Amino acid sequence: MITIIGGGPAGIAAALAAARGGERVRIIEGTPRLGGQYWRHLPEEDEERWVGQEKLHDDFQEGYQLRLEVLRHPNIEILFNTHVWHAEIANDQITLNIVRDSNSSQLSTEALILATGAYDRSLPFPGWDIPGVMTAGAAQSLLKGSYVHAGRRVVVAGTGPFLMPVASGLLNDGVAVVGLFEANRISRWIPFTYVVLANFSKVLLARKYMRDFSVHKVKFKRGHAVVRANAGPDGVLRSVTVAKVDRKFKVKMATEREILCDALAISWGFTPDMSIAHNLGIEQHLDVNDGSVVVVVDECQQTSVNQVFAAGEVTGIGGSELAMTEGEIAGMTSARTLGAAWSVEEEEHFKGLVKKRAAQRRFARALSQVYGVQANWMEWLTPETLICRCEEVSIADIQNAVHNLGATNIRSTKLFTRVGMGLCQGRTCSRSVIEILSKESGVNAEVEDHLSAAKRQIVHPISLGMIANSSSVEDSHHNH
Amino acid sequence: MKKPDAIILGAGIVGAACALQLTNAGLRVLVIDRGAIASGTTGSGEGNILVSDKEPGAELTLAMRSRDAWFELSDDIGGGFELEAKGGLVVARTSEDIQELRALASRQKIAGVEAEEADGEGLRQLEPYLSEEISFGVHYSGDAQCQPMLATAQILRVVRERGGSVLPETNVTGISMKDGAVTGVVTSSGAYSSEIVVNAGGTWAGEIAALAGSFMPIAPRKGFILVTAPLPQLIRHKVYDADYVANVASDDVSIQSSAVVEGTRSGTILIGASRERVGFASNFDVSVLRLLAAQAIALFPVLKNVPLMRAYYGFRPYAPDHLPVIGEDPVVRGLWHAAGHEGAGIGLAPATAELVRAQITGSKSFMDAELFSPARFYFDGQPRMDLIS
Ligand SMILES: Cc1cc2nc3c(=O)[nH]c(=O)nc-3n(C[C@H](O)[C@H](O)[C@H](O)COP(=O)(O)OP(=O)(O)OC[C@H]3O[C@@H](n4cnc5c(N)ncnc54)[C@H](O)[C@@H]3O)c2cc1C
Ligand SMILES: Cc1cc2nc3c(=O)[nH]c(=O)nc-3n(C[C@H](O)[C@H](O)[C@H](O)COP(=O)(O)OP(=O)(O)OC[C@H]3O[C@@H](n4cnc5c(N)ncnc54)[C@H](O)[C@@H]3O)c2cc1C
Repeated sequence: MITIIGGGPAGIAAALAAARGGERVRIIEGTPRLGGQYWRHLPEEDEERWVGQEKLHDDFQEGYQLRLEVLRHPNIEILFNTHVWHAEIANDQITLNIVRDSNSSQLSTEALILATGAYDRSLPFPGWDIPGVMTAGAAQSLLKGSYVHAGRRVVVAGTGPFLMPVASGLLNDGVAVVGLFEANRISRWIPFTYVVLANFSKVLLARKYMRDFSVHKVKFKRGHAVVRANAGPDGVLRSVTVAKVDRKFKVKMATEREILCDALAISWGFTPDMSIAHNLGIEQHLDVNDGSVVVVVDECQQTSVNQVFAAGEVTGIGGSELAMTEGEIAGMTSARTLGAAWSVEEEEHFKGLVKKRAAQRRFARALSQVYGVQANWMEWLTPETLICRCEEVSIADIQNAVHNLGATNIRSTKLFTRVGMGLCQGRTCSRSVIEILSKESGVNAEVEDHLSAAKRQIVHPISLGMIANSSSVEDSHHNH
Repeated sequence: MKKPDAIILGAGIVGAACALQLTNAGLRVLVIDRGAIASGTTGSGEGNILVSDKEPGAELTLAMRSRDAWFELSDDIGGGFELEAKGGLVVARTSEDIQELRALASRQKIAGVEAEEADGEGLRQLEPYLSEEISFGVHYSGDAQCQPMLATAQILRVVRERGGSVLPETNVTGISMKDGAVTGVVTSSGAYSSEIVVNAGGTWAGEIAALAGSFMPIAPRKGFILVTAPLPQLIRHKVYDADYVANVASDDVSIQSSAVVEGTRSGTILIGASRERVGFASNFDVSVLRLLAAQAIALFPVLKNVPLMRAYYGFRPYAPDHLPVIGEDPVVRGLWHAAGHEGAGIGLAPATAELVRAQITGSKSFMDAELFSPARFYFDGQPRMDLIS
């Protein structure tokens, strides 16, 4: 039995490949549907309401077909609405603590594939806690997943190729996009021309988006950033302040202007979710391309822990196609470690996948380098700007911890200010805190800091009652 | 850096409190820690300052003085660490436990602890959400609480302002000696000399003693704490079951747990604390979580639907007789120990520091600290190896 955590592109590809190898597969998926962050649609049981979904998705048909294949496969079982809240490993035995329908129980598995993906990266800026400001991912999942518009006049901003599908999705559904701002410059692509040529399909996709923008008369402005969000008398978003920024994101003098809007969808890239990898003591490292913490995998997508594989965004941000290639490799090789033999064709296919993955990784690397978050974003902040919204910790509080209380690393900063200790457990702020700390203390953060910031023992909130009544693996053996 | 009058090893709560006392006595101190400030057990402790959980005796005397010393310390440094005289409530269920708790409370009262029995309506007034099944408790108005990491940092901030120095991220690798007396320490960033060295190394204090060739059997006792999502105030005191006291003093190796439940200023509820002797085992044991959660719900049924947000563990420093170690080393002159406070180091830190100051400066102290002396680990001039578990 192979268990896959996450039913996104990586998990789907892994499940199909492992099942092809003759293994029994179980997918654990926290939401009520397959597809992950990429193929977001209504919950599985709402299929009748799916009309019109194609126009919101780029590869809707492909996703739809794959989804059917997984759902119908006799060897694949899917646990929807089920979260892994903590994973353990002892004496080579993997135990997953899951929560489903208000019940917590344990599952054991022979092999595990981590395909838990990533979440939006946010940067703090003045006004980012005003209602109406949201991540681009949230705006998109409202649209794709529940047909809800983020607002009537929406500004889309931040950095990265993800801004394009979000803006285009909104436009195609009749929303006014009143501004589209990419903070980085197109000239950053120059060193990567060869990569662009090798991935021409992406260029075509980008051109399609650009056509959407020109049809709707939306100007795509590069080298611009939203540096402040402004609330109206009712406390909700009324406008954003946009400015020209230089290569390091420093605001250029006298370029600020205000744009009236009722929603801001903002994206600064993605952060892989390391919680479960951390639970299992899997080796992680810092991705040099975008500074996120990722799982270390070998050629076969095997992690540092026996029988545990990882695929998709957890191994580094790279998009859905790379996630699927990695997933397929993880599915094939995990089945092989459990005894499946590969035919000659499969050996060949594997080699092909390895090549494909290399090319996709090159493209992913180029993307992360072009669309990085540049250091001077911190200058947009005012002393009161909250860094940790859950615990309401401002940048001034962090400066006080460093300069007066002697905080020297992320842990002591947390202990002295509660930054990152609230409901989201630092998912939103810890990368920003690390950057702020490095700047304030003049000492670059150590890898240890990044790892410790990504560590979360309780992966998903679970009530005390569920824990108290949870059954263990032994209990379930007794029951059978 | 000018030569310090005293070097304190360990920037936990005990080291910080000692640094402040010695600074106030006019000594120039240097505090050294291999990690960040409060990165040891202090960084994973709760902030209970308790008189309720101790039998009359030397430790209770220390605890009672320490409780008052915390408030004096707060006045001295200008607060800033969430010190609160919130009071404790100890409850019992079975008639046997009720009897025992009554008896303990009356012994404590004789020793000067404020303890008031409560039942029925009185209990509900103290803690409206307490389980209906609990009919008896004792209210200890002397119990208090603070945020221990912040306390450590604020104390050390004042120590620096008054002329002391703090050197974090610096490992102590040796203690230099001459003719059986300390002359300084060797660290990862150079040597520092001083005739007075205070070992406030917490759970690692035995290793530091060994650097000077001395013997101190301090071992880790692991403890888990659960932290819930922030809530409006549900729980007002620090509330625990009477069998906690028996647990603390237990020699049983296997896991013991008896939930101690309390609210914090940030709205979270802390549920502690299990006690296990498993060395420095770093595994995250879900069965311990299960036990703590069940016990907390037995005290406060409303907690059933409250989400757990995080959980963490730490390693309490304990000596075989569960008493702190305070005093000069029996074989090395100039080496003073202030360690081994087990699950009460936060509470006991300020009074411990007062004893250390009195001993080092040769002044009178508020109690006879003979029972805490590290000489108890020696017999006839020889280390008592039989004490190592
Ligand atoms: C918000 C967002 C929007 C995006 N939109 C686009 C887009 O429009 N176009 C584009 O090209 N790329 C987009 N991307 C990128 C693209 O979605 C990813 O590259 C791709 O989905 C990665 O696939 P994956 O399988 O690695 O992870 P994901 O798609 O993130 O899938 C991970 C799955 O794991 C599940 N999961 C995670 N943790 C647990 C747990 N503990 N227990 C149970 N289940 C768990 C999640 O519910 C999720 O379904 C988006 C990414 C994000 C974060
Ligand atoms: C779960 C849990 C709950 C607790 N709850 C409470 C409570 O509610 N109330 C209470 O009073 N107590 C509580 N405690 C106990 C309390 O946390 C400890 O007794 C106290 O923190 C010990 O403080 P310390 O300064 O002696 O040790 P530490 O805080 O551990 O400080 C020792 C320092 O020495 C440093 N060090 C060690 N070796 C070296 C070396 N070679 N070189 C340099 N530096 C070195 C370490 O890095 C460390 O920072 C709890 C403990 C746990 C684990």
